Amino acid sequence: MAAVTAAPPARSGGASSSKTESYVDTKRREDVRQANIQAARAVADAVRTSLGPKGMDKMIASASGEVIITNDGATILNKMEVLQPAAKMLVELSRSQDAAAGDGTTTVVVLAGAFLAACQSLLSRGIHPTTISDAIHKSCAKAVDILQSMSVPLELSDRESLVKSAATSLNSKVVSQYSSLLAPLAVDSVLSVVDPARPDLVDLRDIKIVKKLGGTVDDTELVKGLVFDKKVSHSAGGPGRVENAKIAVIQFQISPPKTDIEQSIVVSDYTQMDRILKEERNYILGIIKKIKATGCNVLLIQKSILRDAVTDLSLHYLAKAKILVIKDVERDDIEFVTKTLNCLPIANVEHFREEKLGFADCVEEVSVGDGKIVKITGIKEMGKTTTVLVRGSNQLMIDEAERSLHDALCVVRCLVNKKFLIAGGGAPEIELSRQLGAWSKELRGMESYCVKEFAESLEVIPYTLAENAGLNPVVIVTELRNRHAQGEINAGINVRKGQITNILEENVVQPLLVSTSAVTLATECVRMILKIDDIVTVR
Amino acid sequence: MDFTVPVPNVLGERLSGQDVRDQNVMACQAVANIVKSSLGPAGLDKMLIDDIGDVTITNDGATVLKMLDVEHPAAKILVGLSQLQDREVGDGTTSVVIVAGELLKRANDLVKSRMHPTLVISGFRLAMREACRFIKEKLAIEIDKLGRECLINCAKTSIASKMIGSESDFFAKLVTEAVLAVKTMSAEGVVRYPIKSINILKFHGESVKDSYLLDGYALNIGRSAQGMPTRVAPARIACLHFNLQRTKMQMGIQVSVTDPRALKKICQREADITKERIGKLLEAGANVVLTSKGIDDMSLKYFVEAGVIALRRVPKDDLRHVSKATAATMVSTFANMEGEETFDSSFLGYADEVVETSIAGCDVVLLKGTKNTNAVSLILRGANDFMLEEMERSLRDALHTVKSTLESNLVVAGGGAVEAALSMHLERLATSLESREQLAVAEFAESLMIIPKVLAVNAAKDATDLVSALRSCYHPTQVGADEQHLSSMGLDLSRGVVRNSFEAGVIEPAINKVKIMQFATEAAITILRIDDMIKLVGDRQEYEEE
Repeated sequence: MAAVTAAPPARSGGASSSKTESYVDTKRREDVRQANIQAARAVADAVRTSLGPKGMDKMIASASGEVIITNDGATILNKMEVLQPAAKMLVELSRSQDAAAGDGTTTVVVLAGAFLAACQSLLSRGIHPTTISDAIHKSCAKAVDILQSMSVPLELSDRESLVKSAATSLNSKVVSQYSSLLAPLAVDSVLSVVDPARPDLVDLRDIKIVKKLGGTVDDTELVKGLVFDKKVSHSAGGPGRVENAKIAVIQFQISPPKTDIEQSIVVSDYTQMDRILKEERNYILGIIKKIKATGCNVLLIQKSILRDAVTDLSLHYLAKAKILVIKDVERDDIEFVTKTLNCLPIANVEHFREEKLGFADCVEEVSVGDGKIVKITGIKEMGKTTTVLVRGSNQLMIDEAERSLHDALCVVRCLVNKKFLIAGGGAPEIELSRQLGAWSKELRGMESYCVKEFAESLEVIPYTLAENAGLNPVVIVTELRNRHAQGEINAGINVRKGQITNILEENVVQPLLVSTSAVTLATECVRMILKIDDIVTVR
Repeated sequence: MDFTVPVPNVLGERLSGQDVRDQNVMACQAVANIVKSSLGPAGLDKMLIDDIGDVTITNDGATVLKMLDVEHPAAKILVGLSQLQDREVGDGTTSVVIVAGELLKRANDLVKSRMHPTLVISGFRLAMREACRFIKEKLAIEIDKLGRECLINCAKTSIASKMIGSESDFFAKLVTEAVLAVKTMSAEGVVRYPIKSINILKFHGESVKDSYLLDGYALNIGRSAQGMPTRVAPARIACLHFNLQRTKMQMGIQVSVTDPRALKKICQREADITKERIGKLLEAGANVVLTSKGIDDMSLKYFVEAGVIALRRVPKDDLRHVSKATAATMVSTFANMEGEETFDSSFLGYADEVVETSIAGCDVVLLKGTKNTNAVSLILRGANDFMLEEMERSLRDALHTVKSTLESNLVVAGGGAVEAALSMHLERLATSLESREQLAVAEFAESLMIIPKVLAVNAAKDATDLVSALRSCYHPTQVGADEQHLSSMGLDLSRGVVRNSFEAGVIEPAINKVKIMQFATEAAITILRIDDMIKLVGDRQEYEEE
């Protein structure tokens, strides 16, 4: 690959630019493009070391003293506050990869960086940016075709392959040592929310991730049901465990109504005092009797800012009626909860009817680590949702575990959307490089030149993988190229063994969607940066 | 391929590569050095003064680190590590930090000698797994074989390193008795030792040795009125969670009267509502009333007349423990399902005797012979506050140790025995490895020797001499067929010789050592994996101005 020595990042100051309108300073345009490319490459370089299973982590300390340790490309770039507009485009790039595929956020940025380096060398040879851009576009389309021809179709019933690809994604994270536990977990949770009516759609919002400090990541579990990171309200001695639960989700409060600000109750006689006290009791008792009459024995109360959800008195009555109470359920969670329980939220006590209840075998409070959680299991006619309880010894670990799990879930979702697998470990990139290189020889003119550069720059992925794993990148990449030339299209870098092997046999696989979207997104971003020839600051 | 590109323009500071590793390791070493001198029976204490001038004297690693206001993010991981060890096993908080610091130092040296961090990490992980397996399979001994004596020894080992080390025999017995007394069986038949129900009360005066274990629950408050009896037996206890004061109407209710006589009646009614409630309590047969809220003078009068001990403003935690111990139900309101107010006698709890005594001039109410005897109190005596605070911390550590010994059932020899055995074992393992992890495993083995080394240094003994003597005990040629011998040679720090730690009664729960290995390695790996640090600056304004 041609060595690209970066031209000094000459940032043209406003003062040196032209004063007359007719004179067009083409020199400056070149500078703007160079500066943009420089800045974008710098961003790509920043995340390069965290690519792959042996990639390193970044520690990011925010101004408020909060510390994040991560190796997820999208997270790193999100937290880093880059200033240069072109560099910001790369940050956006990783974000859109996150949205499209959920994984490969580091790969896409590293690829874009390599493409930019290639562009730089082409530009320095005087090739027009538009020509480069068009050639890249063509080779990208070709690359997607090649990737598709390399891919292996997959059936959703093939759980093992799904687990393998989730494991590949997890292996590059801080929690890699737990991949054998988390990968099947991610697969099971996604498969359990697939709607048979619309098998191609997975809404990740149907998978709720609950984080709870304490224990180790090993204790992370998939809960068929609901988990609340809350205590049961049993200050009045209510039950902590209910079997054969009939669950109601209510959006009203069981507390005495407040008078409006301007109004007040006037007491003029001592007998009225008794009546007030008694009326309060009867009011609450009335609500609770209505609830009890439907056979409900678990109550989920939505959080309210207007009134207390429950008072001591109502808790006492609920305890007497043997009703388990979970209060302060977030408004945003209500939809998920009702969907899971297959019940309807109840907005007023008058509408409290039995057909609106959900049923579950067991609702219980379990103490984990420092605190307690409430688990609802054995839900009858449970909606297509699932809950994952993530545990970890410290907040940093839990947060990173959640991010990694999210990536793994996305990987499985990609496979559900587009049921094709492709080998990992740098195999697709080196194959692309080889085939595009061959294709470039069939082309003529400038295009051929550009495609060739593009093809070579794809080698950055295997090169970086090898480098991060502490291997000799030059030896590894040349051997890899050699193996592919001999027709072993699935040969890739086996980071664990430190040599080239058939990567499909090693179970290192990833969804096709991740690879194709990485290549297309990176190409689009590079084309955009390439076409910018001026920066105008608008006040 | 060329990657010599400038670092991106980022708000704030950015460090990467070897620089960040050096900086992180240095920060962690600094933290480890702070607690180093407090390890072991001959370790010294730290005096910590916070910004308002409060003084804490301690030698508990977790406490020291918690009070330090550590800013460096990597060092914070180490502080979190000792906190974690404190929560999970309660003891060994100093050791874990020292081991993690040493691992990091050696790992950094390896990286500097051109070894890739990922290799060091995989080597460390390999060594950690092997170490845990070795502890569980070879070094640990089941407690059933050793009996009750062993529990006392465990507690003694934990206490020996603290300020009250000179009285370790005395306190070890106290702690063991306390833990055994709170043994409970859960509904599923699992035996648990809820050490939270051991109440520790601290009083100035008398000597440390006058501390004692009290059967029953002690509340550090006096009865509410002098007219009340000081002793009630047998006691029927009501635990309330509301006010016994003149009833006030809620917000938003106004009293407006035109007739002055009506006003008097309203006042009367306010008092009567509470009086009726007290009447219901007395009717149910209560003769001890505890409430977490207040009781006013008017209501006290009724209790005095009835010869009832009433306590007000009982801390909520205490109330919860009392209700658990006496089988009383905490009552937050008298309302029943008919909308009326009643108090059922089934809400009452029982104790053989409730008596008020005075300890060191403080009135204390003791609940003796509670129905479910699963609450005990440790009464600590000591010369001053610092002493008492430190005693409490030490005893809590010891309680944790005894608890984890009982629950895990496995013990190992102390005095650096485990570390030396592991070190020699891993060294042998390292030489048998062919891959590049060999170096990392060997360094891991070497780092474990920091524990006996620091132990010896703290005791002002010749560390080099002692450690080499210790190592020789574990050499294959020394270890005979007798497996027991393999796992028990440790340091005698008072005499400066190597002796059999098991026979000397220096033992620790195995789970403690396993967790130290796991947590320390995890923390070291977390820090080693970092190759880039970005410190963000909050103030955007500043940059815009430039």
